[in-house]
Amino acid sequence: MVEAAAAFVAWLGASVVVLSDGRRGLALGVALGAAGIAVIALDVAGPIAAGSIALGGLVAAAGRLGSGREGWHIMPAGSTPRLVLCIAAGLLALWVAAGVATGPGAPLRFTAMVVIGLSGARVLGGEDAPVLFTATGLLALSVALAAGTGLNAPEPWPFLAAAILAGSIAWISPRPVRAA
Amino acid sequence: MQPEAVELIVLAAAALAFAVAFSPRAASRRELLGKGSVGIVGAAAIAAVPTFDLALFVVLALGVVHSVVEGKRPLALRLRGPVVAVTLLALGAVFARVQGPDVLERLAAVGIVAGLAAAVGVLPYLHPIDPEEQLTSSPVVWLAFVGPVLAAVIVERSQSFLPVDAAGAFGALLIGLGLVNVVWGGAAAWLTESEAAAWRYSFVADWGLVLCGLGLIVADGQRAAILVLFSIVLCRLPLCLVSLEAPREKAVTRRPVNLVVAAALAGSAPFAGFAARLLLLRAATQLFWPLAVVLAAGMLLWLPGSLRLGRSLGLPKGRQAVGVALVLAVNVAVGLYPLPLLLAAHL
Repeated sequence: MVEAAAAFVAWLGASVVVLSDGRRGLALGVALGAAGIAVIALDVAGPIAAGSIALGGLVAAAGRLGSGREGWHIMPAGSTPRLVLCIAAGLLALWVAAGVATGPGAPLRFTAMVVIGLSGARVLGGEDAPVLFTATGLLALSVALAAGTGLNAPEPWPFLAAAILAGSIAWISPRPVRAA
Repeated sequence: MQPEAVELIVLAAAALAFAVAFSPRAASRRELLGKGSVGIVGAAAIAAVPTFDLALFVVLALGVVHSVVEGKRPLALRLRGPVVAVTLLALGAVFARVQGPDVLERLAAVGIVAGLAAAVGVLPYLHPIDPEEQLTSSPVVWLAFVGPVLAAVIVERSQSFLPVDAAGAFGALLIGLGLVNVVWGGAAAWLTESEAAAWRYSFVADWGLVLCGLGLIVADGQRAAILVLFSIVLCRLPLCLVSLEAPREKAVTRRPVNLVVAAALAGSAPFAGFAARLLLLRAATQLFWPLAVVLAAGMLLWLPGSLRLGRSLGLPKGRQAVGVALVLAVNVAVGLYPLPLLLAAHL
């Protein structure tokens, strides 16, 4: 039950990242996503992995609060396609994780698939650096879950690497593109 | 580290040394050395990490670093390729590892092949280019510098978790995608207006042969793939650099040197590309002979594009002439006697 709730929180976090344009919304999304992933990682790979993900998500959220568009900007005008994407991705991942795939670990499968998919989609649809780097950081955290899929006792290294990557990316301030 | 990856890292380092030694401008040389060294370290890290998943993190980190390097394309365009690649590869890994019906295994193969295409920047995930952009921040970095190591690592590591039943689908997808890239890349290198785009498409066409070679599970296919990767890193990339680095000094000419360069780019005898094509046709004949016929027809598409790219070098002078002569000599040597290269890769 706890894992199912964590998977829902992770989906919610990834959806907030998809639906937000402001720094607070993005920070909230990455924090929620990391919290959900950390709870699942605790069950899959132990406390070191879970702690790494939680810390990485916290650093990423803090970094995002420092740069980007002011405010929340959750579901701004014209974001209906993004909302449909979040719901459709959630339903599709739920069907594949719980209906098509077999064996234990449905919340892990669901979280890995939906967060990876939504983060990748956010980068495809985004233009602003804070949005792109937030989604990339969340993608890194979810790729660690992919490493834990199907293994009995995954090592904590992918989770540590994901945390370092997600925490670092959020603090990058790219130089503006030069005019041609 | 797998031997093919080590060999490709050494080749990439040699290409970087060539670029630094024969670049026409001192400022460009310093920049190439700095940014190229980062690329070499990244490629080495992709090969050195012990698991497929850790390699994905290195690709993601390298993609972020490459996207923030000063360049003319928007950040979003530069970041999309590596991020989409990691997304598809990670989804492929998830599908491969979960229990379930056969369709999940096939989806895993689709994810990994599509992720590989997105990482390298071949069809259907061509990275947009800007003709005015420097080579260090352009998609050529993925096509010719980091991409070969990445492809070798992804194909080798994915075998460890792809189910046996999915291996056939994996090979078939590589061959199918390879053929599409051969035809599209060859035709576009010939017909596109922009010279920079023509070079990019010529890399894409070469990658088509690499994908076909990797998809053919016989030994000759793997040997052909490593030889085409050699010709990408130590023939096409240096010649592309020579052609694009000094645009104001060159004029389109039809001198003997342009024909020789065109022959090297087209994979004619005695250059390395010829040995690769022979091995590829032999591998295809062993597996399914009509594939060899299709490949042979596709290989004819290299000729007009290569003649065009050969002419674009103009008449190399001084330092650049030495560089072109060196590239041609190395490619003739490998074309005539490819065994040391293949032995180093344990093929």
